[in-house]
Amino acid sequence: MSDNDDSNEVRTDGTGIVPPDDETPTWSERKTRTQGLSRLTYEYFERARREDQDLRQQSSYIERDVLAFPTWPHEMIRNLALVSFFVGMIIFLSAALPPHIGPPADSSTTPPVILPDWYLYWSFGLLKLGPLNPEISLLGGQKLLADRTYGVLANVVVVGFVAMVPFLNKGAARRPVEQPFWAAVGMSGVVFAFTIAALSVKNLAPMDSHVLFDLTFLLPFVAAFITYAVLRAMREGYMFNLNRRYYRLRPPK
Amino acid sequence: MSLKPRDEHDHAAWMDKRELTAIEEIYLTALIWLDKRLRIVDYLEILENLYYKVNFQLPKSHTEQYNLDNKFWYWYPLYALGSFSTIAYVVAAISGALLGFYYAPGAGASNGTPALGYNSITFIMTDLNFGFFLRSLHRWSAQVMVAAVFLHMLRVYFTGAYKEPRELNWLIGIALISLTMVFGYTGYLLPWDQLAFWAGQIGVEMSLSIPLIGEWVAQLLFGGFTLSQSTVQRMYILHVFFLPFIVTGVIAVHIGIVWMQGIAEPH
Repeated sequence: MSDNDDSNEVRTDGTGIVPPDDETPTWSERKTRTQGLSRLTYEYFERARREDQDLRQQSSYIERDVLAFPTWPHEMIRNLALVSFFVGMIIFLSAALPPHIGPPADSSTTPPVILPDWYLYWSFGLLKLGPLNPEISLLGGQKLLADRTYGVLANVVVVGFVAMVPFLNKGAARRPVEQPFWAAVGMSGVVFAFTIAALSVKNLAPMDSHVLFDLTFLLPFVAAFITYAVLRAMREGYMFNLNRRYYRLRPPK
Repeated sequence: MSLKPRDEHDHAAWMDKRELTAIEEIYLTALIWLDKRLRIVDYLEILENLYYKVNFQLPKSHTEQYNLDNKFWYWYPLYALGSFSTIAYVVAAISGALLGFYYAPGAGASNGTPALGYNSITFIMTDLNFGFFLRSLHRWSAQVMVAAVFLHMLRVYFTGAYKEPRELNWLIGIALISLTMVFGYTGYLLPWDQLAFWAGQIGVEMSLSIPLIGEWVAQLLFGGFTLSQSTVQRMYILHVFFLPFIVTGVIAVHIGIVWMQGIAEPH
């Protein structure tokens, strides 16, 4: 502060530039002094970094300091090759099978078949769940929700269930064999997507509509049971192999 | 109060003290000159980081370590589905931008006479050079994108790739798949042919049957309780303005998270 000797009065109005001296905290000191959320964030990051380092040093796995494949270059290089083939497929398809356009919109003639694009069939099918909408006897056989509302809610329920999957199915298991139940749930979902799509185009399915409605809900369960049985059998096979190898290495006394 | 400017770090003296060759001196002078103005020092860390990223020696992945490629290579096309849908999205965006040069939304009276939207599609398909192919490319890439997105979801489900560090990306993926379907639906309505009209009818009825906010949603998305010019107009703006920005942004976040977390490996 040798430059400051002639003007030593302290200004309290906030004006004037105070040159840094030994008393002035550095930015890192300011950071450590800070209170509240930023302080917490800073402390947490320090802890996390230390934790990371400790884990790395303690780890007995040397080969595995990645928890996944690196996206670059492993995945990207492979994908470039595969994807360029697929893009060729898109161009080929669009050259070979161009779409045509139907007659112009006419509000006075209803076409015999009204369908959305194929990827919305499942959603369209869920709108046709009227027969499942319970007629509540408390309300004198009235339905609590209109059939249309019920259908829209069915969509919300299906999407909501799919969204909750990672929070319901925890654990380290990855392969379907390791988690036959969830694989079975998945297979029933896939089959249900197809059956509900068939229900939505029931004008076209060569089948009694009641049978079709029952099959829509029955087939997913059948698929689930088959998947579960097959995967359990495969798991037994794996365990048998493992055990056999184990006993071959250490023959029982 | 005055601050006497002084060279606390007397770089010149420091340079004199060292015995430098001419090249070193010129280099250092230039560097110091630039650094005084641009403070390159602050960016050195980034450069250093980049250097180590470029020269990074990759550790062996799990698959390489245990030589699982011979068991898994036939699954790899399924692992490319995410990239595939992204590329299909890019193709659809490019062909869509080109189509946008020629398409104009317009519903007319919807009484069986072709209106503006329908006519511009007819123009694209019959009069425009490569127009038929362009529309075909747009439509097929959209279809392929939706299919790839569905299969991608199945792949992620059956390989358990949505598990612990990746739950957030699963949720973002669900938002993306829904947005993709909305993208498809809004595009499906644009030609304003019979299919489009009656699909729009279903859409209005669906939104009207949402409890509490149904009428508001119908007004917002379809511009009324019956289909009209404003329906096509809104679908058009959703399709070419709102959704492209939203979906591109969400895809960027989705891929960014994948990039950070890495691909969940086959085990």
